[in-house]
Amino acid sequence: MITTVVGNYPKVAEAGYSTKLIGTMTKWQRKELSGAQLEETCREITTAVLREQEQAGLDLLTDGQIRWEDLVTPIARALNGFEINGLSRWFNNNVYYRRPILHSTPVWKSPILAEQYRFAKRATTKPVKAVLPGPYTFATVSEDRFYKKARPFALKMAEILNQEAKALAQVGAPLIQFDEPAIGFGKTDTKLAVEALNIAARDVGTKTAVSTYFGTLDGIVSALMRSAVDIVGVDVVSEPKALNVLKRTKITKELAVGCLDARNTKLESVAELHGIFRAVRKLAPRGGLYVNPNCGLEFLPHTQALAKVKRLVEAARSFHGGKH
Amino acid sequence: MLLTTSVGSLPKPDYLTQARAQARRGELDAAGLRALEERSTREWVKIQEDLGIDIIVDGEQYRGDMVAYFAEHLGGFKQSELVRSYGNRYYRKPIIMNTVTRPKPVTVNWWTFAQSLTTRPVKGMLTGPYTIMDWSFNEHYPSRRAATLAIAKVIREEVKDLERAGAQYIQVDEPAISTRPEEMDLAIEALGIVTKGIRAKTLTHICYGDFETIGPKLARLPVDQIDLEFANRNFELLDFFRGKRFAKEIGLGVVDVHSHRIESREEVVANLKKALRVFKPEQIYVDPDCGLKTRTPQEAIDKLRVVVEAAREVRETLTGGSGRRGTRSRSAAVSR
Repeated sequence: MITTVVGNYPKVAEAGYSTKLIGTMTKWQRKELSGAQLEETCREITTAVLREQEQAGLDLLTDGQIRWEDLVTPIARALNGFEINGLSRWFNNNVYYRRPILHSTPVWKSPILAEQYRFAKRATTKPVKAVLPGPYTFATVSEDRFYKKARPFALKMAEILNQEAKALAQVGAPLIQFDEPAIGFGKTDTKLAVEALNIAARDVGTKTAVSTYFGTLDGIVSALMRSAVDIVGVDVVSEPKALNVLKRTKITKELAVGCLDARNTKLESVAELHGIFRAVRKLAPRGGLYVNPNCGLEFLPHTQALAKVKRLVEAARSFHGGKH
Repeated sequence: MLLTTSVGSLPKPDYLTQARAQARRGELDAAGLRALEERSTREWVKIQEDLGIDIIVDGEQYRGDMVAYFAEHLGGFKQSELVRSYGNRYYRKPIIMNTVTRPKPVTVNWWTFAQSLTTRPVKGMLTGPYTIMDWSFNEHYPSRRAATLAIAKVIREEVKDLERAGAQYIQVDEPAISTRPEEMDLAIEALGIVTKGIRAKTLTHICYGDFETIGPKLARLPVDQIDLEFANRNFELLDFFRGKRFAKEIGLGVVDVHSHRIESREEVVANLKKALRVFKPEQIYVDPDCGLKTRTPQEAIDKLRVVVEAAREVRETLTGGSGRRGTRSRSAAVSR
């Protein structure tokens, strides 16, 4: 069982690695600080976040997405074709993202995250996975004024994200994860979502994963099991029935199970987590099993986010495969 | 008919913003801050009276975030460390740690103060139980439902106290209600607890997102009036109500609170006339889309002035010459 996080991590920590990013960002926005100075602070926080995950005992880390305002802006901003627009609600959270508007053919110019990934990789001895928005989610949360049709937009985004994924694999990412909260959230065009995912994950040259959260995957997990990715991530907290859905599904891939609530501060008990571990261990008897919070940890204040990470590691270490 | 009002918050003048920052740093005591909050409340009540607004709000000069304010004054909550809401914006999200209680009335004092400044009715302004639950973490209650219903009980106490103090209008805002359509029934149930048996006019303001899915259930919200944003959706929301017999009163947001542009009286008049083809004049209250606290004081005043002037102009055409009235009722008859 491999312990990991989904993606983002609190950018500020009053009782930890400081809240300096807020002031640095404000000053940079007012042009009182240079881009290089902002970058320096981002690197400092990224290093602290990696060290914290490492010390907590996680097996597989992320860079915490410290530079990311939301899941789509950093990518949309780096591509041709998009304008970054006003705030929209991020799924069913009281959290907002900037909605990208597509005006012309999206064009990937050069690697977007490779340099940041290289930095994170050097900052820790533990493996670091790279996280990208999935093509279906990207298309769903954007406003398409160009194609005006879901399929060509999602498939074009899939090609672009595939290029980015390959670039990340080339700089040494052992795993590329596509975040797809839009899969299973509301009405999902499962066929299109899987078609796009397959393009995004094609010939990446390293292991790939899809991460779903917030939604319910009834009728969708089996389609994801037939997709081209190696790992399927499922949130069994937002929709507790997801565990039953998994039990009814033939699991043919590695599973990543979101088993702590990263949207509420209440800390899960070790016993609760062992209960989930026991259920999913049986489902993935031979294949790999990843355990993680149900979504990115940034919805939580830092203290509670760290407590959850530590609890996850504690539960995983004291779990003996359900063999009692 | 076409009574004018505003949705709740009004901008804080610079001196108050500075005072709040000083108070946070411990450089200004509670009494000093209170005096300035009363000063700006007094100023805003006067401004609203001078503009000719019919139903006054206190402008929430003493509140920060609409959920955090209640969490700070109710029992059972604690404040979290910073969490990000978007971009570089962070806030302290309340955590429900224990049974939610109301040690004493939260807003009644301020309502009484504001009402003492004017002979026009001042609205009581509360945040609804569903929104307080959705915008807080919950470590105490076993479910979102249990937390919502517990909060509903204390908000009801506040409503009763406002009514007892003399409030004729009590607004219970539920902006979170459109977030999870699957929980709309819970929000309705909770609001029912809040408003049951209340004789004051009750209303709720709903904003943001997913209106299509919650729209059909709006009529079931247990309040007398529903206040909605029409301006920032180019009055497309009227299509939803067209041809339906919507029995409640409607608060019609006619100016966009997120834009610096001051709408012209002509466009607001035109939009009000469009609305009159869907709603009866006595059903409509006219106001800005949402709280004006994100605008500058001058922008807020200018927007409120347009609201009042446009409503007055349309009111005059309705009560004016008989020829005009005839025209209107004919067109109304056609549309119904």
